[in-house]
Amino acid sequence: MRKKSLLTLAILALMAITAIAINANKEPLYHAQSYVFGTLVDISIYGESDAHASALANQILQDFQQLHHQLHAWKNNLGHQTRQDSASELIRVNTAFSTSHQPVKISPLLTKLLSDAQALSIRSEGLFNPAIGHLISTWGFQQDNFGVSKIDAEQIQALVKANPSMSDISLQNGEVYSKNPWIKLDLGGYAKGYALDLAVQFLRAQQVQHALINIGGNIIAIGQHGSKPWRVGIQHPRQPAAIATLDLHDGWAIGTSGDYQRYFMLDGKRYCHIIDPRTGYPVQHTQAVTVLIPPQPHAGVLSDVASKPIFIETEDKKSHAAELLGITHYMVIDQNANVLITKNMAQKIEWLDEKFKRNAHVKFITP
Amino acid sequence: MSNLLHRSKAIYQQLRIGDWLIITFSLAIIFLLFQTLWTTERATKVQVRLSDKIYGTYSLNQNRDISIQGVIGTSVISIAQGKVRFSKSPCHNQYCVHQGWLVRAGQAAICLPNQVSLELIGENKPYDSLNY
Amino acid sequence: MQIQTTQHDHQIAKLAALAIALHMIEAVIPSPIPGVKPGIANIVTLYVLYQFDFTTAAWVSILRVFASSLLLGQFLSPTFILSLSGALCSLVALGLAATLPKRLFSAVSLSVIAAFAHIAGQLLVVRLWLIPHAGVSYLIPLFAMAALFFGVVNGLIANAILQQTQNGKSSE
Repeated sequence: MRKKSLLTLAILALMAITAIAINANKEPLYHAQSYVFGTLVDISIYGESDAHASALANQILQDFQQLHHQLHAWKNNLGHQTRQDSASELIRVNTAFSTSHQPVKISPLLTKLLSDAQALSIRSEGLFNPAIGHLISTWGFQQDNFGVSKIDAEQIQALVKANPSMSDISLQNGEVYSKNPWIKLDLGGYAKGYALDLAVQFLRAQQVQHALINIGGNIIAIGQHGSKPWRVGIQHPRQPAAIATLDLHDGWAIGTSGDYQRYFMLDGKRYCHIIDPRTGYPVQHTQAVTVLIPPQPHAGVLSDVASKPIFIETEDKKSHAAELLGITHYMVIDQNANVLITKNMAQKIEWLDEKFKRNAHVKFITP
Repeated sequence: MSNLLHRSKAIYQQLRIGDWLIITFSLAIIFLLFQTLWTTERATKVQVRLSDKIYGTYSLNQNRDISIQGVIGTSVISIAQGKVRFSKSPCHNQYCVHQGWLVRAGQAAICLPNQVSLELIGENKPYDSLNY
Repeated sequence: MQIQTTQHDHQIAKLAALAIALHMIEAVIPSPIPGVKPGIANIVTLYVLYQFDFTTAAWVSILRVFASSLLLGQFLSPTFILSLSGALCSLVALGLAATLPKRLFSAVSLSVIAAFAHIAGQLLVVRLWLIPHAGVSYLIPLFAMAALFFGVVNGLIANAILQQTQNGKSSE
């Protein structure tokens, strides 16, 4: 009889353990999503009350929205957003560049962003080039329904010859001036990264210990997901699945440039939104470049900017492009789905895709 | 009432030590089964979001189409045999439709123009967020 | 030439008929959870195992599967294959479990073991042949819970019936 009650106790204990295991799944994780910058913004906050986390997330989203109004390069009518009617500060600058040849008064924020973008553009030897807005619109990427039905080779050639470069811009006394009338600024490859840094700054000031912010695929981490680090998946360029995962530790950021993000097909060929400023044509030799940025003051910006030069450069010069911006952790997936990866990046990632797990088509590079 | 008590005691006494062992052992196995099979990356539900709101969470264990009135039109989401996909979309590029079937927890498809997103959720997501 | 039938044969035939009837009742009544059935016909198998021997129990069980599927018009259908694979697996398990000391293990143990083997056999067929996509694995813990529950209940019923028979015999 005593033995029986012991067994009954054992059963009850088992049931209790099950109940605890089920309850343990409820964790203090707040999650918000919204559409800003024409893309999806996804904020996770861990360890705060839902009410507090939701207030913080709303504040961040509002700041992003404001930033977008200031920086968007074309009239974006994604959805029925009514406040999009007014031209952004950037659009006014672009109009001034092409019509008058006078310096334009700009806000301190834009001055700061442009001088930073200029420095990065020069460091990347012009491969990151936010001045080629005209090329981008020629290829039909500055509209919601992107794509063109016919390639305007003449126009492209003329724009490449005009050689719009960030070094043509001078910033002085709160004014911007361009000596090249063919400059059209597009901060599409910069603003999201800047927004990440902004959000991190805000959350750290608010004493938030753990958060993960994802703007259109660019991610930055604060703290961790409870007792484990934040874990991010890296998108497969051709399938709706992740090819690998990695732990994103406090302060680290990750960004990918992919030919699958915005593209159109013409005569069976893929034309993506990443344009080589030297040829004026979309890059076709690479499917995706992922960069991992260690903690530093502008990790967000770097995660957005640094993948582009590596994407644009041909395979033999990709490591040089990475070196220019001091990138040591990166991964390239080329047009034939072969992977080039730096050793220290390879140490951090965990393959999910069987083919890559066996290291088939994976080549390691020493930066 | 006393009759019921009496009977339940009878059942209790019917069971021998070995029976209790077998039952306990079975419970442990069931517990382990739940732990291992209900925490795989295979998704069990799909969360559909419209703009910044959760539109609904649906079990993948059914076959149905869901029509959602988005920002620019109606998106149709199909659920079948543990999978989900965008099957119709009012957007120009149809990227969402080309994404095809989603199966694993953490997989997502987004229709930016219509502001509709799908995310597969399972007991154990393999990652917190997707870098794309 | 006439086939000689014994009292023993008649009794087995009656029990097989009872098993078939129980099986068919279950097949006709829709279950609230698809795929989950109490398997009351197994009570008969258990009874036969205790009153006669394993070979007889196996006969009754297999006869039940074939006869019910023929009567229900499901012979060689997926339902039949599922029934058969479940029955075969649970028979193998019963054969092994029957060697457990009776002093420590009652019919409840045998019933639970048989029920687990039954779903194991069925799930194997489902996974390999009927629904090869992996979603089935999600249901395994639920089926296992049902197996434990109905295994215990059927075992208790079998115990009660066996006890009754025993009492009947001793009072004769």
